[in-house]
Amino acid sequence: MSSVQQAVVPAPAAAAPRRTAKGWAYLRYGAGKVGGAVISLLAVLVTGFFLFRLIPGDPVKTMTGGRPVSAGQLAAYRREFGLDLPMWQQFTDYCGKALTGDLGTSYQFRAPVLDKIAEALPNTLLLTGTAFVLYTALGIVLGTRAAWRHDRLGDRLSTGLALTLYSVPSFWLGLLLIIVFSVGVGPIPGLFPTGGMESGGEEGFAYVLDVAHHLVLPVITLVAVEYGQTLLVTRSALLDEMASDYLTTARAKGLRDDLVRRRHAVPNALLPTVTLIFVNLGRTVAGVILVETVFSWPGLGGLFYQALSVPDLPLVQGLFFVFATAVIVMNTLADLVYPLLDPRVGR
Amino acid sequence: MSLLDVRNLEVTYADGSAAVRGVDVSLEAGGKLGIAGESGCGKSTLALALLRLLPAGTRVGGEILLDGEDVLAMKWGRVRAVRWAGASIVFQGAMHSLNAVHRVGDQIAEPILLHRKATAAGARTRAGELLEQVGLPAAHARAYPHELSGGQRQRVMIAMALACDPRLIIADEPTTALDVMIQAQILRLIAGLVTEQDLALVMISHDLSVLADTCDRLAVMYAGRIVEEGPARQVFDDSRHPYGKALSGAFPRIGDPASRFAPRGLPGDPPDPAAVPTGCAFHPRCPVALESCSVDDQRLREAGAGRRAACVHVPEAAASPSAVPEPEASPHPGPGAGTDGAGIPVPGPAPSSDATGALGKPASAPPPLLSAEGLHVSFPGRHGGDTARAVDGVDLDLRAGEIVALVGESGCGKTTLARSLLGLLPPTAGRVTFDGRPLDYSSGALRTYRKRVQLVLQDPSGSLNPRHTVYDAVAEGLRIHRYGGDERAAVAEALSRAGLRPAERFFQRYPHELSGGQRQRVVIAGALVLEPKLLVADEPVASLDASVRGEILALLLRLRDELDLSALVVTHDLGLAWNIADRVAVMYLGRIVETGSVEQVLSAPRHPYTQALLSVLPDAPGEPVVLAGEPPDPSRISAGCRFHARCPVLASGEAERAGVADACLTRDPEILGGGGEEQAACHYAATSSTSNPSELIR
Repeated sequence: MSSVQQAVVPAPAAAAPRRTAKGWAYLRYGAGKVGGAVISLLAVLVTGFFLFRLIPGDPVKTMTGGRPVSAGQLAAYRREFGLDLPMWQQFTDYCGKALTGDLGTSYQFRAPVLDKIAEALPNTLLLTGTAFVLYTALGIVLGTRAAWRHDRLGDRLSTGLALTLYSVPSFWLGLLLIIVFSVGVGPIPGLFPTGGMESGGEEGFAYVLDVAHHLVLPVITLVAVEYGQTLLVTRSALLDEMASDYLTTARAKGLRDDLVRRRHAVPNALLPTVTLIFVNLGRTVAGVILVETVFSWPGLGGLFYQALSVPDLPLVQGLFFVFATAVIVMNTLADLVYPLLDPRVGR
Repeated sequence: MSLLDVRNLEVTYADGSAAVRGVDVSLEAGGKLGIAGESGCGKSTLALALLRLLPAGTRVGGEILLDGEDVLAMKWGRVRAVRWAGASIVFQGAMHSLNAVHRVGDQIAEPILLHRKATAAGARTRAGELLEQVGLPAAHARAYPHELSGGQRQRVMIAMALACDPRLIIADEPTTALDVMIQAQILRLIAGLVTEQDLALVMISHDLSVLADTCDRLAVMYAGRIVEEGPARQVFDDSRHPYGKALSGAFPRIGDPASRFAPRGLPGDPPDPAAVPTGCAFHPRCPVALESCSVDDQRLREAGAGRRAACVHVPEAAASPSAVPEPEASPHPGPGAGTDGAGIPVPGPAPSSDATGALGKPASAPPPLLSAEGLHVSFPGRHGGDTARAVDGVDLDLRAGEIVALVGESGCGKTTLARSLLGLLPPTAGRVTFDGRPLDYSSGALRTYRKRVQLVLQDPSGSLNPRHTVYDAVAEGLRIHRYGGDERAAVAEALSRAGLRPAERFFQRYPHELSGGQRQRVVIAGALVLEPKLLVADEPVASLDASVRGEILALLLRLRDELDLSALVVTHDLGLAWNIADRVAVMYLGRIVETGSVEQVLSAPRHPYTQALLSVLPDAPGEPVVLAGEPPDPSRISAGCRFHARCPVLASGEAERAGVADACLTRDPEILGGGGEEQAACHYAATSSTSNPSELIR
């Protein structure tokens, strides 16, 4: 032994892990990411204000549409909403309020925007959160299977189906499901409600069941349309990894095939999927405007649709800000989590 | 009973290509068998077949008896039990063979937990012991693969291979892509462990000299068959098969006048396993093939004591040692036969004017074509770390028609120096002059400059755009420089100069349709098309097979003769310098530590670093001086002589006796001049006039 050891005196411990240095590097990295996110949020605040002022239509006229109103009344409305002020003053007011956490008052509901959002947010989270968990799990599991047995019949069928559903417009699929399963076609009776979140009048456990019953069709629509993306990303990432030498090493060690997959291939392959998961998580809050509208789901998406048609400027701006915030926060979280999962990144 | 007995092994991949076509090999316990051959000859397939690691759908026939038990007949559960515990593998390129997201300690512990009844803590302790056994601190168990250097990762692979006390270790190109010094460390480590623990070793490599040094027996594979087998030294020194001869001849033997300015290769490429030639598979490339060779298949037969070879010339060979006729030394059988192989005749010894010219030049030195004076290139440290002085004071001249080899380990700054000479990296201090004028870094001037100085990179697969045809790849330079003449003619001319003939046949090909050697020729043609004065080639043959290597080097030599082209060849390969260079500059940590004519520096090195580099070459005479560790970090260059921490002369006390030890620790040796004269930046060498390397070190 001695001869061998002498010959190979270890290198100066240049590569010995230095914990604290790494910790600092991560903090610096994290601070950079969070700083960038804050700047993005400010940009969203500004963009939101001007963007929606480009929408054609006069909110006051839309709200008073059909009723006889005098010019004086219109002017009064304008004064009430602050629409008579010069643009720059409207902007500074909006910014000042936004920074104190006040997103203004909805024109059509005559209620604080924040209240309206707080009311609809849980409903959206219930719908899209449920769908998110299902489509992410489904996408990863099916994507892993498809890659591991790629180019076999099972992979072709599964990938083909995912691609087809992924390219289907969600509102069309939703309408189709309503026609078949709510209205009923031929011998099939209407099994599920056509829309809304509850039938009303239920209490306790019956209420929970009732909401779940209403959830089925919109969740199916969302899962069907969304799982394909996760499946495809997972599949191609795993296919890339499958040619890697370290998997041959793992097999040569005598690991069972499923252990090679679970312990070695999937953790590496999921790294690109992580970013996608966080982006999807951000979109969860934004709701799904089309699906919520089709199923008359009382969530943020439906609210946004109502607000846009006026246009109810404070509400639209507020929702836009909340949606953007969710995406930015989730992206930042993805950036922060990634180095913890992949030791090669973030130094 | 043999430990490993492979009988009539045949492997056919799902696409129908026959990668292994009837291989018989056996290995006693404790024996060391080397398997050599070019890429694509089936040697890695053989390695994977031993543990049934080939992809599903591959047909494997024959028997693989490991300890008397046929691996091919085992149930999968038994195969998994035998893997790693009976035989383990050290793969090539440990970067990809280790899982990037697991700590190396866990990866070493994994097979222990799987095959031995061990607790997690027990396995962890054992992993630490194994790391120490391969010369790494146990604390490295917590490191991730990317935090370790290439050599350290290979050590981790070896530690992992030892984890379950296998009786057989299969090493597949264990040192390919490592520096000479690290390669020597790893080979020494493997050889030591194998002897000490009485392991059997199957080592696979394209490098015959490495195998001859490490193994007892050597088998040479070609087109899925073993074509020659015998005691390793004998096969290397005196091959009985024309293929073995060509392979071993492709290795430069430094100091051998026959290989000076005469790189030898083997024209053509190994056959596609899906379409193996009839008769003897080697006959299309064989310099001594008979008419009957295209019809009669050859099987291994006795070729002397303990030796077998599969060649029609062998029956006679059994009687007299060198019955395989030497290929006629006809230098040029006319310009390339126009085959796919683009067979460039390898020139015989270059005209004597070249050999002597190198020595004669310093006397009546014309002004240098390219010259670096006091060149420094530094990079700011990351996150406020220390500045890395990658090039730290270099003077270097390059004259018209001269080939200079810049030699050093990875991380020594040689690539940074080359990039700086090309104007790709502006120097931090010092200057570069070309044709007597300092380099102008304005973009217009740089464009003109780059027309005259072209770059050839290491990996032709990476440096060619896969979506460009050969024609586009070569014509791109012309288009960038708005060439006014006949583009088609210029491209055709450059391609045929680079040995791709007839050029038109290559115009519409894509890089993936070419062999590695042909791709590198395309890269060279792309450089030649602008009619440069100087080529800067960064490891131009490092990613090529030995047989192809000789071909490409011969091409560089010929271009120098025909076009009076100068070249700066950046390499870690001292043999390359011996093959083609006039002068050599050895670089260590940003500084040139020894320079002079190739004959002087390589035959009588004066700097202990050069001496060590030469001594660890597999074929070198005398005791190897394996330097410990890796080249230190260019952001922490020590005071005094930058080499002193690893210097064997200082460590042995020799420098102390010569009275220079103080200088070594405190005084930086002077920067060497860029001219041609022999110089070494060493306090010790300055005191002693003797230049006998063995005396200096012992």
